[in-house]
Amino acid sequence: MSTETSELTTQTPDSGSSKNRERAEWLQENRVRVTVLAVLIFVFVVALLGLDRDDWFSTIMQGLSVGALTFLVVSGLSLIFGLMDVFNLAHGEFFMLGAYLGWTAYTRADTLIDVAIPMLLLGAPFALMPLWRRIAAMVTLAGRARKTSAIGAIVVGALTAFFTITRFPLVIWDAENFAMTPTNMTVQIDLGTLAPLPAESFSGPAIVAILGVLLGGALIAFGFSVLRKPGMESGAIDMKRLATFGGLIVAALVLHLIKEPVNEWIFGLSTTWRFFLSMGVSVVLVAALGALVEVVLIRPLYDRPIYQLMITLGIGFILIELVREVWGRPEFTMARPAAFAGTGEGCPGQGLGGFFSGCSTVEVFGGRLRVYNEGFVVLVGIVVLVGVMLLLKRTRLGMVIRAGVEHPEMVEALGINVRRVFTMVFALGSGLAALGGVLAAPSIGLSSGMGAVFLLGSIVALAVGGLTSFPGAAVGALVVGLLQQIIIRYGQVGIPIPFVEEPFKPSPTVVPAASIVVMVIILLVLPTGLLGRSEK
Amino acid sequence: MSLLSLRDVHTFIEQFHILEGVSVEVPQGSIVALLGRNGAGKTTTLRTVLGLNPASSGTVTFDGLDITEQKSFDIAGMGIGYVPENRQIFAELSVEENLRIAERKKGELEEKEEMIFGLFPDLKRLIRLPGTNLSGGQQQMLAVARALVADNRLLLIDEPSEGLAPVLIEQMMDAIRTLSEHTTVLLVEQNFIVASRLAQHYVIIEEGRTVKAGEMADLVDDDETIKRYLGAA
Repeated sequence: MSTETSELTTQTPDSGSSKNRERAEWLQENRVRVTVLAVLIFVFVVALLGLDRDDWFSTIMQGLSVGALTFLVVSGLSLIFGLMDVFNLAHGEFFMLGAYLGWTAYTRADTLIDVAIPMLLLGAPFALMPLWRRIAAMVTLAGRARKTSAIGAIVVGALTAFFTITRFPLVIWDAENFAMTPTNMTVQIDLGTLAPLPAESFSGPAIVAILGVLLGGALIAFGFSVLRKPGMESGAIDMKRLATFGGLIVAALVLHLIKEPVNEWIFGLSTTWRFFLSMGVSVVLVAALGALVEVVLIRPLYDRPIYQLMITLGIGFILIELVREVWGRPEFTMARPAAFAGTGEGCPGQGLGGFFSGCSTVEVFGGRLRVYNEGFVVLVGIVVLVGVMLLLKRTRLGMVIRAGVEHPEMVEALGINVRRVFTMVFALGSGLAALGGVLAAPSIGLSSGMGAVFLLGSIVALAVGGLTSFPGAAVGALVVGLLQQIIIRYGQVGIPIPFVEEPFKPSPTVVPAASIVVMVIILLVLPTGLLGRSEK
Repeated sequence: MSLLSLRDVHTFIEQFHILEGVSVEVPQGSIVALLGRNGAGKTTTLRTVLGLNPASSGTVTFDGLDITEQKSFDIAGMGIGYVPENRQIFAELSVEENLRIAERKKGELEEKEEMIFGLFPDLKRLIRLPGTNLSGGQQQMLAVARALVADNRLLLIDEPSEGLAPVLIEQMMDAIRTLSEHTTVLLVEQNFIVASRLAQHYVIIEEGRTVKAGEMADLVDDDETIKRYLGAA
């Protein structure tokens, strides 16, 4: 009759003895968990005590910085896995794409605007989906012929769109030509000499390009509506949809006409504002990509988890190749925004207030920290942690997510469109990964392999913290970050070993192996991770 | 006129043919009991109404509208409440949140509060507790209460008396009787005594087929049918 007793104890919450008993029960249930946490903290403290005082503070802060970036990746993974049991292997690549798009919005806003124009036109026909569905309903083909014709329409539409989009004017970097490489542009923006590139013009008549993209978009939209089950509700072509259709076309044309003053204005902004702008742009774009991936590729495969894994893995590879093709293979960095790049007089900043001095570095507790890496990145990590916790605990969407993790069918049976919530969470997780990518770009630089590195760290963090626990994801990311930085620091100072003259210096390459060893040990003792609940 | 009617419904779960011709009429304002042995397809019938296991053939109509191919959340949104077999209380959510999540319009919980706590006074003092701390009986009450928050015209209640102590069964029956004054109920119930005291009509399902339907008053005296399809007298 354990339920009866728990009912009784909750009825008298103010009696001290029952509270003590509850605490004892809790300890009894969680003794392994508490022990593992204590051992973990003990190991970290001992490792840090082995360092000099000024070293250990900066090591902690650097660990927090890496932990914050890892957390931004792992938070999305954890939300997505918790709610829909999808393990998104492309999540690291969303992080990477976020970094590259962020760099582009920050350094080459003019390129992004040039690309936005045909994209708006391509999206416009999708606003008229009911019209395409109605036309699709007239297609009398059935079965395989219907499917083939639909896929045919999508392929022809995509080819039409692709070849007409290349006719649009596009100013872009060139990885082969040194003056035009991304690296050189990063140097220029750092020096404040970067200007918009001279505008290109349409190759061939503009009207052909514009109509071609619209036709391509219409064919793709039509193809998708033929693929849908016939006889489904098609909705009405109301004013709202027509206005969206027209609005997108007008927006594209207006953007084309005013792009030069817009470019001048953006390039005139301080790099700090441009950095915040690029965070927003990157998050929105990758979130939209995430939503698209969920709806088009993952949703049809909810009953087949292995196919889902394979498709997300494939998306990851495609994104890596896409990034190599568009931005070039060589690695480059993103210039640090002005607010975190100050040098010269009065720098480095002193004490905690020094974080706001505009200097690039700050001296705190005898150690020297980088304001961007160890200050701003950690701050954003904490803001996101608090923000997502509030979203989960205080909003209706959060309530639906928490309920959906447990009984998605019951949530559906209450009249809530769970699939739409899935899409929103997928977009949110992708956006958070992109935010991590933009934040990482000025500190660790951009490379097509950065996603894989952070995905590995995130998987370790996820397993250590507990697969479906959001606070667990944060703790796991912290463990991964601290572990990495402690190993790197000991690689520099060395670990003295008795009777051996040379101190042992672990190479930074052991970091991934070491974090996996820690993960294995924790999982052997605590199969559900530090904060995870047992799965039934 | 029937509020809900199923006509010759067939349902597959994966490759298994679970419903092989179920027909049920639920007249407006009544309580209909769905009877049958374990594994006869009673729960699947409720799930098919909600589209959780969609019918592969046959029709389901609610309030004159064909809902056979509608999505679950749309069907529920038309005014159907569901109290599932294993209660499916959200353990992570508090009792209040468990009720709040069923709102289809903001503030519905406040409107219905009085009625809900009138039926289940216990829930009021448990309102801040997480769902996981409730006893089985409290969870069952919460599951019914959750289906009452939105404006539902039909309740699908699966095994309300299962696992409850006799005194709680009485309380649950009182609650269902009271709420049926405003709402039509389709009830799955193993306990024939409970079913016979609550429902006006019955439908018996055997191996996925409707085999008998009629007035509960006639069934109570029909020992042969009870013995044949329900196994006990």
